[in-house]
This record gives sequence, structure tokens and C-alpha cells, in this order.
Amino acid sequence: MRQELRIALVGLFGVVTGLSACSPRPVAPAAPQHPDLSGVWLGTGKSSWSNARAKLGEEPDIPYTAWARERMKGVVSGSGGDSDFENATDPALKYADPLGFPRQYQHPVKFKIVQTDDHVYQLWEWNKVWRQIPLNKPLSDDPDITWYGESVGKWEGDTLIVDSVGFKDSTWLDGVGHPHSEQLHVIERIRRVDAETLRIDFTFEDPVAYTRPWTAQHAFKAVHDDNMGETITTMSDELRYRERFLNQKPPIAIRR
Amino acid sequence: MNHRMFVPLAVAAVLISGTALAHHGRGLIYDAKKETTVKGTVTEFLWRNPHVEITVAAADTKATPRQWLIEASSAGVLTTHGWTKRSIKPGDVVTVTFHPAMNGAATGDLMKVVFADGRELPR
Repeated sequence: MRQELRIALVGLFGVVTGLSACSPRPVAPAAPQHPDLSGVWLGTGKSSWSNARAKLGEEPDIPYTAWARERMKGVVSGSGGDSDFENATDPALKYADPLGFPRQYQHPVKFKIVQTDDHVYQLWEWNKVWRQIPLNKPLSDDPDITWYGESVGKWEGDTLIVDSVGFKDSTWLDGVGHPHSEQLHVIERIRRVDAETLRIDFTFEDPVAYTRPWTAQHAFKAVHDDNMGETITTMSDELRYRERFLNQKPPIAIRR
Repeated sequence: MNHRMFVPLAVAAVLISGTALAHHGRGLIYDAKKETTVKGTVTEFLWRNPHVEITVAAADTKATPRQWLIEASSAGVLTTHGWTKRSIKPGDVVTVTFHPAMNGAATGDLMKVVFADGRELPR
């Protein structure tokens, strides 16, 4: 009897398994395949977003408004061709303000891209700045005004399109002092043009500072060691440097 | 932050014309049109920001012994050029080429380091 029961149960299991195999099952949709932007990237240093070799305010590719021209009066850059180290008005130099965005891309230090299904993250060595880009989300109706703004992204073919708004107008757009207002809208088209190269095409829209949108580009090379170091410069580091190399007496005690 | 702290910090912030970024504009400190080369012995190597520092004991053009304080780029940038904190050590005999200080001080902006065996560290 026991043997018969065992055979019956095995048979029933086989039938159930067979039916189960034949019945339609919900199949998870395949995740969309996007290009892999992840990795560590390094660009060469850049001071201006203009492609023209001209003085600030005289570049033919930048459509300044009167507001922007007024804003640039008295600007003294600490980098680029017309820089003056001692008298720079650059807020990132004079007050040690954050570089802000998109100027962050111009400093020649590595950044890492971490890519997930719903976010792209950028992690910079320089002062350990990070940026979060949610995918397929709308921008806030009333974004906070911040050093690095608010960003959202979406894929269009092989290109990640990133929209960013909500920038403090005290930051410079670049190292030579191009201005922007709080209405700045930066559109990035980020594309891996080959295994070793990441290219970003920028469009800057700012009706307060510029009469029409204008564009710029920057390229970054892959760095394969995957190491991310710490490149932080503090006030004490800077004061110590100035004491040692420029013979300037520090106004406060320096942490050694 | 109380006022006692704020005032010196604010003064410091104004005086600091900068983080390492400022140091790109060093045209008024070093003469980029001149190159000086000295051969000597490393007495100190500091792997730090905003600039890595190399001190070299070497004679100047008048055969006067001097301690040359040479600044390189930041540790982060030099890492991408293959440097490490152990690339140079006190006692190494090196030939350093640099842009000299405009004011005649024994300081410089590094161009290259060449070791006694011919190995070279790029800027």
C-alpha cells in the first residue's frame, strides 16, 4: 500500500510539473541596454568655454547681454592667458568658494562615473565633490538655488542627455570669469565616442546673461587604474604654501 | 561661529587668493620664459597639497650652496603622471629643471626631475 502511494505521489508531481512548464508565465521585460559610461575619466585643464582665442568679452562665439557685460567689469581671472594671481577676483580663489557647475569639469583631476538603471553618479577627486543625476524624472518646479544645481537625465540612443538648473549666480561659468544668472540652464550631451574617450557637448541657456543659447565641448580620457585619491586643499594648506613659497605671514595660526 | 573666530577666518579667506586652482596663474611668481637647472641632493620630499614640494641642496651659479624649494603640481595630478609618495626620497641625487622665482628667491616651479641613473619624472 505504501509503495503504491509513493508511486501515485511521484506521478502526480510529474503531472503538476509538466502542466506548470506548459502554462504561460509573466516574463520580465528585458532591461534597455545603454552605453556604459562608467569608469574613471580625466580631462585636460580648461579655463574658458569659448573656442575663440580672444580676451574676455571679445569672443565672437559668446552672445553677451548688457547684463553680462556689466557683470564682467572688474573681473580678474586667476587662470588662463590674462590671469593675475595677486589680484584675482575669482570667487573660487578669493573666497575658496566651490567651483560650482559646469566649471567643475575644467579642473584637471579625475572623476568617476557610476551608472545604475535609475541614476548616474559623478564622483570627483577634487574636494570630493559628487553629483547625482536621476534618470527619467522631471526637474523640480521650484528648484533650490545651489552651488551644483539640480540635474535629471535621460538616454537618447547612445547619448545621455542631462538637464541642470538652479545654480547660484555667484559662481563663474568657467575659469576666466564668464558670468551666469540663476536662470542658467545647462544641457549636457554625454557620449562615449570610443572605448577611451568621453565627450560632452554643452549648451548654455541663460536669457539674463546671453541673448541666445551657445555651445561648448570638452573631452575626457579613460584612466584604467580605477584609483580615486583625495585631492583636498584646506585653508591651512594654502596659508602654509603662501608662507613657505611667497613669504606671506599667515593671518591665523596654521594647522601643520 | 562667534565673532572672535569669524574675523580671522574672513581675513584669511580674503587673503587666500586661492585653492590649488589659483596656482595655475603663477606668472607673477615664476618666470616661465627662464629655465634653471641644478644638480644636488634631495633633503626633503613632501607629498601634499596644494603642491608637492622637493627641497634640493645644490650650488647656484656662483657656487654658493643653497636649499632650493621647488614646487610641483598637486599630488592628485602627479599621480596621473605616474608619481607616488615614494617617487623621490631624501638622499637621492637629482638634476632638477624649473622656472625660477621672479624675485631671485631659491624657489621654483618644477619642469622635470632626472635621477642619477637617467630615469626622469615628468612634470
